[in-house]
Amino acid sequence: MDLATNDEQMVERALSGDPEAFGEIVRRWERRIFALAFGMLGREEDARDATQETFLAAFRNLRGFRGDAKVSSWLHRIAVNQCITRQRRAKVRGETALEDEAEKNAAVFALPLDSSPARTAEKIERSMAVRRAVGSLPPDLRQVIVMKEFEELTFQQISEVLELPLSTVKSRLYTALRQLQMRLQKFGD
Amino acid sequence: MPNVNERPICHRAEDLVTYLYGEASEADAKDFSLHLQQCNACRGEFGVFQQVHDSILVWRNEALGSAFNPAVRPVESAVELTRSVRDGRRLSALAALREFFTVSPLWLRGATAFAAVLLCALGVLTISRSWNRPVQVTNREPAVFPNSEREPKYSKQEVDEAVRAEIARLKEQQTSAPVNKGLTTRKPTGGDRRNQLANNLVRPKALRPRGLSRQEREQLAKDLRLIPRDEDELPFVLSDEPNQ
Repeated sequence: MDLATNDEQMVERALSGDPEAFGEIVRRWERRIFALAFGMLGREEDARDATQETFLAAFRNLRGFRGDAKVSSWLHRIAVNQCITRQRRAKVRGETALEDEAEKNAAVFALPLDSSPARTAEKIERSMAVRRAVGSLPPDLRQVIVMKEFEELTFQQISEVLELPLSTVKSRLYTALRQLQMRLQKFGD
Repeated sequence: MPNVNERPICHRAEDLVTYLYGEASEADAKDFSLHLQQCNACRGEFGVFQQVHDSILVWRNEALGSAFNPAVRPVESAVELTRSVRDGRRLSALAALREFFTVSPLWLRGATAFAAVLLCALGVLTISRSWNRPVQVTNREPAVFPNSEREPKYSKQEVDEAVRAEIARLKEQQTSAPVNKGLTTRKPTGGDRRNQLANNLVRPKALRPRGLSRQEREQLAKDLRLIPRDEDELPFVLSDEPNQ
């Protein structure tokens, strides 16, 4: 039995009142959804919250799930929407500078102790630059690059999730890579 | 990093990303590999994109390496969250409360928790006070019921004993009192009357005041002789008949 079939069966079981069925769906997909949310939002706490909200929204709208789409695509769409909404709210609240500082501090503790201070600082700065670069992409480009780089979805899967033609996905990814390169080049100069 | 701000002239941008992420078929990969050798624009972009891809991978591995260690938490919390919502279909109030706490800020959660604790403490205090409240059974003397504050209930036997003791005490008082005390002219006050009434209520029939003494009876007889036995002997003062 393949995974996709199982997911749809799990949804059916959840709809028929099986209390463990939706929990199984969560267990299967939470890592990927978390990775997607982390790539989109750039912070672990935000990603965790977005992951929770994604599964919460999915559970609430379980009856609205269309059987013609895959459960994974459906979950990814919800997650992308959650992330975009959260980022809009954060933008309104102006949450950037302090979070960057907190992220920097967290990154210092995450690195191994045997790294030299200079190398550690360089790694942190590089990671921060990549995070900022990804975070500054427009949402339509960011979601494609995150799905590709963080979740390692195929182009076909991305096109299914986002309900976009395959060629659009590829062109968006190309544009996203170009924009990232430009942003990272500023950091390198 | 080389600058690739200008748009590539090559039209094979989509093939480039397909090749970069290893999704090209074997034939397409071979074809694009040959193209890379001939196209400077694609070759330059391929190198740049490879660096960007590597940078993102480094960031992802660093970030998710630390983030995924506690990844059990998101799983559990997400499962728990959905479970609470599932139960919420039956217990909507509880689910709403939980959701409220989920979305509410930290200070509001703290304030609500404090209020709940305070309310519980007040409830416990009220219950304990109501249990310890003394029950006032009677307003009798505390000597008879010395522990009435702590022990509000008495058995029938205890009540009987207390009554007997009180009777004995009264009897003793009466025997030690002077005999003709009862004819003293002191006007009884309201408090005396109340006491007497109360004593009469408690006192048994045998202990009621005995009859008049001899001296008292004689005095009473004298007084009564002053009153004529017949109406004829009454001195005429006024006639009831109308004047004729």
